Amino acid sequence: MSGLSWGLVHEQMTVQIRVRTLNVFSLALYVFQPAVFTAVGMLLSRAAGNATPDLVYSVIGGGIMGMWSGIVFTSTYDITGDRRNGMLELIVGSPTPLATVEGIRTLANVISGLFSIAVAFIAAMAIFGFSLSGVNVWGAVVSFLLLLFSLWCIGVFLANFLAWSRLSGTFVDYLEMPIAFLCGFMYPIRILPGWVQVISGFIPVRWALEAMNESLLGNTDLRFLVIHWLAAIGISLAFLFITRQLQDKVHDSIRVSGELSSI
Amino acid sequence: MIRTITHWFRVLWTEAVLSYHGRFAITSPFGYFAGKLGFPLFLMLFFIYMGKFVGFADPAFIMIGNMLLIPASSGMGGVTLAVSDERGWGTLSYILGSPAPRVPVFLGRAVFYILDGFATSLLGLFITAAIFKLNLASVNFLLLGCCSLLIAITSCGLGFLFGSISLVSRDGWVILNTFLAFLYILAGVNIPVTSLPVFLQKISYGIPMTRGIMAARLVMNGGAWDAIGRLVGGEALVGGIYILAGYVLFRIIEKRSFVSGTLDAV
Repeated sequence: MSGLSWGLVHEQMTVQIRVRTLNVFSLALYVFQPAVFTAVGMLLSRAAGNATPDLVYSVIGGGIMGMWSGIVFTSTYDITGDRRNGMLELIVGSPTPLATVEGIRTLANVISGLFSIAVAFIAAMAIFGFSLSGVNVWGAVVSFLLLLFSLWCIGVFLANFLAWSRLSGTFVDYLEMPIAFLCGFMYPIRILPGWVQVISGFIPVRWALEAMNESLLGNTDLRFLVIHWLAAIGISLAFLFITRQLQDKVHDSIRVSGELSSI
Repeated sequence: MIRTITHWFRVLWTEAVLSYHGRFAITSPFGYFAGKLGFPLFLMLFFIYMGKFVGFADPAFIMIGNMLLIPASSGMGGVTLAVSDERGWGTLSYILGSPAPRVPVFLGRAVFYILDGFATSLLGLFITAAIFKLNLASVNFLLLGCCSLLIAITSCGLGFLFGSISLVSRDGWVILNTFLAFLYILAGVNIPVTSLPVFLQKISYGIPMTRGIMAARLVMNGGAWDAIGRLVGGEALVGGIYILAGYVLFRIIEKRSFVSGTLDAV
């Protein structure tokens, strides 16, 4: 991240938000789709005979779903779009490393995703009467910040994945639901089978999200939260490390073979 | 007369092959199968655990519903892209300028998506039944196949409608995907239609797939033709109306483009 200047960050984020966020696609991704998932959760709860829906998982979980969908589709489409428009070569050839550009863009995507979670929180509080009394506010805030960091790390990883191989796009496109399923975006992770929980343990979002949901439900067990926070930080950093290593190898490979467009 | 009919079928077949080949020729086998079965399977698992968490006692309802949504997604998504991609690739003007009859040009695009959705749906149902040990002993598979095929056909009506919309709007694909998400609620996929609020029930019965999925569920529970006849008839009627509406909209847009010359400019 050497040579990171405010001007670069400002320009990249401005362009990213204009190109990727301010359009109908993002509105559907951040608002409509999460609203549908929330509605399914609430209607299932109603069909099950519950008087009130679970607000943390059904409503706020819908916002998390929106954030994740936003990361998957905007971050991965960045590289695809660059490649299609002939911009990828210019970015790779510029003095600013591709990893830095993708890091800033993904940060803009994560910030854009805040809209989804904000709408979910406002809906939970204003429409459904969700109250902050009994909530472990500090635990929830720290967990939420770590959730954003985890999303950013995965976003950077996925964004670069597309630069490494064109075919990886077909893989990344289908990550939206598996990760949502594995990480328990709209239900507690404990209801999944044990072996599925083991797999989800390799995804940092799962740890940060579990800590945040528990904090919102009033869990103040510091040991539980710290373990989850450390797991989220550790696995996120591992994703960043892998990204960096592969990034360097791909850059070398590209410069030797000159085959950026064909990979 | 015979020559005209032969010509129509030739155009229909050519459209069918080219449209499907153009969409999937460059797709890797992984991408193809992940799109066909991977996404619906994980979506189904996600909804099953959502239901389990809130105490919804019938996971089989969600399993069957999501598998029956496959032909609908294939029909709607595939046909929408088959129509809208013409503008994207700059080939729309050639189609509109050709003397080929419009009905086979239009309907031909749906043929393979119908067959594809139908086959994938049945495959998905059997995989799901095997994984979750559903009892299929009392199922009339011929009727189940008919229901699945009918859903694939009727959902194409919405595909034609959204495809036509995407010819005049750059956001047609987004509108379709948003609508597809609403089907998780409206079509009786995850939640029984009778459990929905009354105004949503009215919308549910106004779209294709709802009655088809209800009929298929009855067949999965051992129902015979007597039990599903009215539902199948209603599904065919609603689907037919949407197909006709999609075709009429396409012709209106086509005629308007000849007057204004702005079809590719939106």
